[in-house]
Amino acid sequence: MGILLDKATDVVVQGATGKEGKRVVAAMRAYGTRVSCGVTPGKGGTVSDDLPVFSDVRAACAAFPALNASVIVVPPFAAKEAILEAIEAGIPLISVMTERMPMRDAAYCFATAKEHGIRIIGPASLGIIVPGVGRLGVIGGPLVDEIFTPGSVGVISRSGGMTNELSWSVRQAGLGQSAAVHVGGDSLLGTSYADALRLFEADPETEAVVVYGEQGGACEFEIASLVRKGQFTKPIAVHVGGDFAKALPEGAVVGHAGAIVRRGQSAADKAKVLSESGVLVAERFDDLVQSVKPLISHAHHDTHLAHHQGR
Amino acid sequence: MNLYEHEGKDLLASFGIRVPKGTLVRRAEADAIVNDGPCVAKAQALASDRAKRGGIAVCASAAEARAAAARWLDGGMDCLDVDAVLIEEKIPAVRELYVACLQDTGARGPVLLAGTVGGSGIESSGQVLRFPLDAKVPAAFSASLHRGLEAVAPGFAAFCRSLVEAFQTSDARQIEINPVAVLTDGAFVALDAKIALDVDAAFRHPEWEAYGQRTESGKALTPRELAVRSIDAGARWYQGTAGKYREMDGDVAVLFSGGGASIVIMDELAHHGLAAANYTEYSGNPPREKVRDLARIVLSKPGLRGLLIAGGVANFTDIKETFAGIVDALDETQPPYPIVIRRAGPNEKEGMELMRACAERNGLRMALHGKETTMRDAVGQLEKMMQSYGHPA
Repeated sequence: MGILLDKATDVVVQGATGKEGKRVVAAMRAYGTRVSCGVTPGKGGTVSDDLPVFSDVRAACAAFPALNASVIVVPPFAAKEAILEAIEAGIPLISVMTERMPMRDAAYCFATAKEHGIRIIGPASLGIIVPGVGRLGVIGGPLVDEIFTPGSVGVISRSGGMTNELSWSVRQAGLGQSAAVHVGGDSLLGTSYADALRLFEADPETEAVVVYGEQGGACEFEIASLVRKGQFTKPIAVHVGGDFAKALPEGAVVGHAGAIVRRGQSAADKAKVLSESGVLVAERFDDLVQSVKPLISHAHHDTHLAHHQGR
Repeated sequence: MNLYEHEGKDLLASFGIRVPKGTLVRRAEADAIVNDGPCVAKAQALASDRAKRGGIAVCASAAEARAAAARWLDGGMDCLDVDAVLIEEKIPAVRELYVACLQDTGARGPVLLAGTVGGSGIESSGQVLRFPLDAKVPAAFSASLHRGLEAVAPGFAAFCRSLVEAFQTSDARQIEINPVAVLTDGAFVALDAKIALDVDAAFRHPEWEAYGQRTESGKALTPRELAVRSIDAGARWYQGTAGKYREMDGDVAVLFSGGGASIVIMDELAHHGLAAANYTEYSGNPPREKVRDLARIVLSKPGLRGLLIAGGVANFTDIKETFAGIVDALDETQPPYPIVIRRAGPNEKEGMELMRACAERNGLRMALHGKETTMRDAVGQLEKMMQSYGHPA
């Protein structure tokens, strides 16, 4: 089952004819996700790697009425316009890969999406994967079949690379993933940890969730408050990276744009709040999956699935 | 990018916000301070708690201001270099308020914070009102917000609207004015200005070039930290990021890829008792040239005893392309110290082969690992290799 995606997911890629756009289209198709068309302003009517290209999302939707997801791979200065176009065309799920999008533009798009009941993942997100079903974006890259296999563990990460690394730990522990979501590393997120956790809470396939978090910013505190309020009830383990940053001056950014060193937002501060709220906290990244494994009743089932699926 | 107080005040003034009359003095001009009467001298440093750290002096005369300025310009402020001092008129406030506008994670957009008192520590005191703004038109205050601000002080809503205009138009991440002085006639004056700009919006703000290079703490950049900043400039600025380099005190050079992996591996270095010579991370599939320029700078630091090239399982960063850039730099420097590599992702076979060939032709001590080796174990191996390497001659 998984979250957000299913076999009927039908994708338009905005920015499909660029170098990165072409790789994104190929990656999704290679994983069996339907990509019906691309959009690049001014290139309507052309065909790129067997993909019909339109000049705007509205025209794409007219030709492919089943389109229900967009992946955005445009430069940062064009991201706001591209997202608004997808919103206006009524695409209900928009995954924004664009990195370094201005915060003012992201905030504007989130507000508009909210008015229309549309979900945005990102920006600066590599997307979401539901193993065996499909992927929106490029999570897993070419090694997707080595890393991902259907199972019962939900994966959430602020880092694209660590989405894979964590999913790989899940796989090495003999488990599989119900879905993996890269929420993105910016300060403003269309889909927060808490939003992703609500989706995993409602998903019957998901038995437990593992989260890669970081020092700086406030997103990890949302996990604690969700768990305290009883809105997330499944086993959950978090690792908060960036303990070394406690030695750096306030305002320093380490890694992602949202990972800004601030008093009260260190890795230790977050670990403490999470732990006090009943969240399992792994002090070292390598221990993250092992800390929830004993709580997963289907662990054996996952191993079995992984063995037989061969992917 | 954080602005100095004087830059922030100039920005606020351009949006019609009143700031104290002042003069900015640099080293050569410090002797020329001629304020006739009481004034406030303020060291221009990018630090919070300047008052506690001895960076603000209320002066009775120009002589006192000259003395304070000379002290900071020659000796710095609490270990920070000071290049300029702001000498301002003393404002007779009947009351002080707090106001800030910032992009807020929980609200997913701008919020306005307002406090009925100003001063140090107010932002974390719980005495601050928090109002989410409409991200589409933040300066169009709702009726209830307008009433709330007018209840703080008559006319405060209009003042806050100017602040929000400045915030929005300038692509700020945060503007904080603490304190805002209320004068006897009810006018508002920004006594301080703490502004952080969203660097991702730099493409539409050519005027920001005038602000010059700086670190977040105001500590001067090292020559390498300065050199790395040109990497992500130019026409290909948005094609990946390879311009992050923070000099640190250790002897392990690092070339990490991925924001998340980089901090996990930094933590692992500490767990193994190793100390990084730098913090560096490239990501977003940067081209070979960018990675080469970055690697050259990382390897140029004296006193290195090990090199760790590591990242997670890449999604779309091309291992062959990025490793080709590192190989260019390794061919030039031929480091004698041990090198451990841990990486996986697109074109990893080709990338690893480039590294292997580079090690062979240059006689490098290099260990190569894919995703089967954890980041922790890769760091463990570097620790062992460095133990047998000994100290540089």
